[in-house]
Amino acid sequence: MSAKIFEVDHLSLHYLTRFGEKINAVTDVSFSMKQGEILGIAGESGCGKSTLVSGLMGMCIPPLYPTSGDVRVNGESLMNRTVEDIRANVLAQKISMIPQGAFNALNPVRKVKDIAADVIAAHQKSGSSVSPKEIYERLCERFDLFGMDTKRVLNSFPNQLTAGERQRSVIGISTLLNPQMVIADEPTSALDVSTQKEVIRMIFDLLDKGIFSTMIFITHELPLLYHVADNIAIMYAGEFVEMGSAEQVVKDPRHPYTKALMNAMLSTEQSQRTRKPEAIEGAPPSLKQTIVGCRFAERCKVACPDCKKNTQLIRMVGDRLVRCDYAK
Amino acid sequence: MLKLLKNLMKSPMFVIGVTIFLITLLIAFLGPVLYHVDTNYRDIVAGPYAPSSAEHLFGTDHLGRDYMSLLISGLRSSLYVGFVAGVIATVLGVFIGLFGGFKGGWLDEILNMGTNLFIVIPSFVILVLISSAVKDGRSLTLIGAIIGLTTWSWSARAVRAQASALRSRDHIALARLNGASSLTIVFKHVLPYLMSYVFMVFIMQVSSGILSEASISMIGLGPLDSTSLGIILNQAKDNGALSDGIWMAFLPATIVITLTVFALYLINTSMEGVFNPRLRK
Repeated sequence: MSAKIFEVDHLSLHYLTRFGEKINAVTDVSFSMKQGEILGIAGESGCGKSTLVSGLMGMCIPPLYPTSGDVRVNGESLMNRTVEDIRANVLAQKISMIPQGAFNALNPVRKVKDIAADVIAAHQKSGSSVSPKEIYERLCERFDLFGMDTKRVLNSFPNQLTAGERQRSVIGISTLLNPQMVIADEPTSALDVSTQKEVIRMIFDLLDKGIFSTMIFITHELPLLYHVADNIAIMYAGEFVEMGSAEQVVKDPRHPYTKALMNAMLSTEQSQRTRKPEAIEGAPPSLKQTIVGCRFAERCKVACPDCKKNTQLIRMVGDRLVRCDYAK
Repeated sequence: MLKLLKNLMKSPMFVIGVTIFLITLLIAFLGPVLYHVDTNYRDIVAGPYAPSSAEHLFGTDHLGRDYMSLLISGLRSSLYVGFVAGVIATVLGVFIGLFGGFKGGWLDEILNMGTNLFIVIPSFVILVLISSAVKDGRSLTLIGAIIGLTTWSWSARAVRAQASALRSRDHIALARLNGASSLTIVFKHVLPYLMSYVFMVFIMQVSSGILSEASISMIGLGPLDSTSLGIILNQAKDNGALSDGIWMAFLPATIVITLTVFALYLINTSMEGVFNPRLRK
């Protein structure tokens, strides 16, 4: 059995505004990952997914601050380390990120090869030097893996590329240094279906080729996660409300929010054609205040008076984790 | 670059501005070759405030010196002061604004406080105080440096706002998450992105430098080592050219200053129209 390479232990993160307001964006998130595992994280917009990504990479840059908890990569904690230390020793080498919106993720005034060369240059060991020609050859070698017109793509500005080429370039740049783990933050959002498929295939190609082995895949598309992830965690208002295998979470959800999320999905299946998707009424609670009781209680169809009073702790229900006292 | 120039050339404002500015540059730097009269030579025969003649195209000043050659020399000096002031104010303003805006936090607070302090203290007052304190060594370069050191705050504020907005952009986040240091991000990602903006700031600082030099020289605190357009105006004022209605003593210098600054303004405005897609027609 392979060892845990990534551990998150009761991680809570908050933003501190200029006016001293504290926004508890992520609360009590815990999970661990073994080598080769793919964890999917899903949740609605604004639930704290991207903030969690910053925390998972140890990049708590003001106004984001860690409240409590720990993140460990290969047993090494990322907390209480300087941003410079994490930049030099962790990012791009141990953990890397594939961001959403490839068009905005590439600097419009720089060529793809220059953006990519910066990643290699940023992690050059002091004393050693790599010539621009060597860097270019390394880039060609890596970009050739993606089945693109490498030379044209590398020598282009982002606006000269198609959406798919841009996203593939971003993936190529993010995985240049063969990181142990990749966090893909909605890498397929804003792409058409065929490009989405291409991008997913490319990510899995890189996994197969051993460029990286472990991945956290973040999206709000649950059906997509079902196909790509081994395990899925559902996030709501900064908390994990359910975590289990992809099969369990998608096919047999136990938390009322996961169930509501599944009911809100559109499906092309024949049997689903007559079913109308149900929107989840209401809005998530404000994270500026201390929340008493279940965070989903206000929107939950099966909530009882106790739900609004008692803080729900995440607990084992069968062989999955659910944050609901009434889940069976 | 060629495409950018093509777009700029479509703007009549840019064409007019560049044409006027090129003419001023030609007059300032090629003028002495085509019209060579010693600026220190006093024509006793022609006398003070002599009218236009074949010998003295624009006549003479109160000391009998050739006015046209003084104007050419003054224009060159004013452009030089504007350039020195522009470089200093832009470099200082861009670096302070860039680091403050990009880094945020306490560094930004301190730099912003310093910038605001310089904005609220009237820069002309500082300029007058420093210029009057330096009695003997008031050279063109020194005046340019003083102007640059007192007017950088506006560039800093403008660049800070842009850099601050860039900080949260996705491509900056990607560079950071791929391990780029703050210095790399500032110089390789933020600065090239703001280059067009920086160039516009530089043009405005040059024109502001020319105007400041004219103002400081007008009140008699200008450079002592050469003639500038402001000094020509100062001498015209001091020698009663205004009250005596000798318009040739001050009008050409005023027109040259106005045209130079106007040309720079036209270039700046037309560039903004091309660089800023929201203003593009």
